[in-house]
Amino acid sequence: PVTAGSIVVPYGHVIGNEKWRGSEIAQRLQGKVRLIFEDGLGLVDFHVSNRTCILLISEADLVAGDEFKRRLVRFRNASSLRGIVIVEKTQISDQYYLGVQKLVVLELGMVLLPVANQGEASQLIIQLVSFCVREQSRDRGANPFLRKQRAQLAEPAVLQAVQQIPGVGKTKALLLLQQFGSIHRLCNASVNELEEVVGQTVAQQIYTF
Amino acid sequence: VPVDPSPALCVLADSREICSGPEVISCLRAEHGLRVQVCPLGTGDYIVSNRLAVERLLRSELQSPGNRNKLSQRLQRLQGSFQRICVIVETDRVRPGETSRFFQRTQHYDGVLSALVQAGIRILFSSCQEETAALLRDLALLEHRKDAAIQVPTEPEGHRRDVLNFYLSIPNLSYGAALNLCHSFGSVAAVANSRPQAEELHRFLRHDFDLELLP
Repeated sequence: PVTAGSIVVPYGHVIGNEKWRGSEIAQRLQGKVRLIFEDGLGLVDFHVSNRTCILLISEADLVAGDEFKRRLVRFRNASSLRGIVIVEKTQISDQYYLGVQKLVVLELGMVLLPVANQGEASQLIIQLVSFCVREQSRDRGANPFLRKQRAQLAEPAVLQAVQQIPGVGKTKALLLLQQFGSIHRLCNASVNELEEVVGQTVAQQIYTF
Repeated sequence: VPVDPSPALCVLADSREICSGPEVISCLRAEHGLRVQVCPLGTGDYIVSNRLAVERLLRSELQSPGNRNKLSQRLQRLQGSFQRICVIVETDRVRPGETSRFFQRTQHYDGVLSALVQAGIRILFSSCQEETAALLRDLALLEHRKDAAIQVPTEPEGHRRDVLNFYLSIPNLSYGAALNLCHSFGSVAAVANSRPQAEELHRFLRHDFDLELLP
């Protein structure tokens, strides 16, 4: 059955595919996250939030052939969830990694993260869950890579920009901005208007710029 | 047989990359036949299209918590100027005489990866500079297919050079965007008077200067 739909994940929980019950990865997750097993998750291995799920590709999957590729493509076509693919990248499966990366990241537009074994996979899942929890709690400021919308004063930058006009240093830039108010009005000033602030030569330079 | 990329395929590389990633640049040129223009990008290591910037990071940089602030500042600045950001995590080079260092995956490392994923930043992994170059080529090709490739001349001269420097001094305007403005508009006045499609840029150009607010 090709199921890849969304399910409701209780806050701070992970819903795992029944097939992982008793596995090393499940044992390591237990105690760190609240793990619930469910049947019928289909293509998905773990749901870490309502909109994020994890698909695991083992070393054996990689060596076995292209079946895992079909699974990923089916997931991508059937689901609008954010899919994170965790792949076991070992000495044996290393040779397949670049091909998998090209498919998953560049062609399917999903996230791909390599781990060396199931132990590392469980550590990574714990971190992913903790970030998903923060996301749900709207504690987005906690993410150091999200741009904070800060109102920055434009004045220093405007002054810098005007100084890029040939012949204009800091003093002239200040005079020009005091007279014209904005770069837009400075651009539309006539040579005569400019001459009232700066000399003839510079006025001509600004005008032709 | 490698596909011959279109001659228009161009990548901008930051000048610092000449020292830190010389093989990436020479591989892009020699092996993949891309046009690599080295310029002082300021933010971002590579610009592969009008909307995509690529930051090349060593795995050890992600491992050490001491780098966290620097890294987040770099990426936040990129997010101010680019629609899409991609990070290439490259395995550190093993120096001659050094046995391959054992990579101990830390909680911090997984935390950084999770934060990058959540921020919508694309992550690619590479084991050496040659692989990084191949990934950059793939990204450039992909962006080219999506009509986002850099297609303007990347070396303006004379007056255009001055105008480019003017655009580069505008906050949150990327090197690529500045190049595009240079080539699509006859003058700065034309940009200032154009229909406001890029809101932030227009606000800047029309900003009423207040001397009192200078620090």
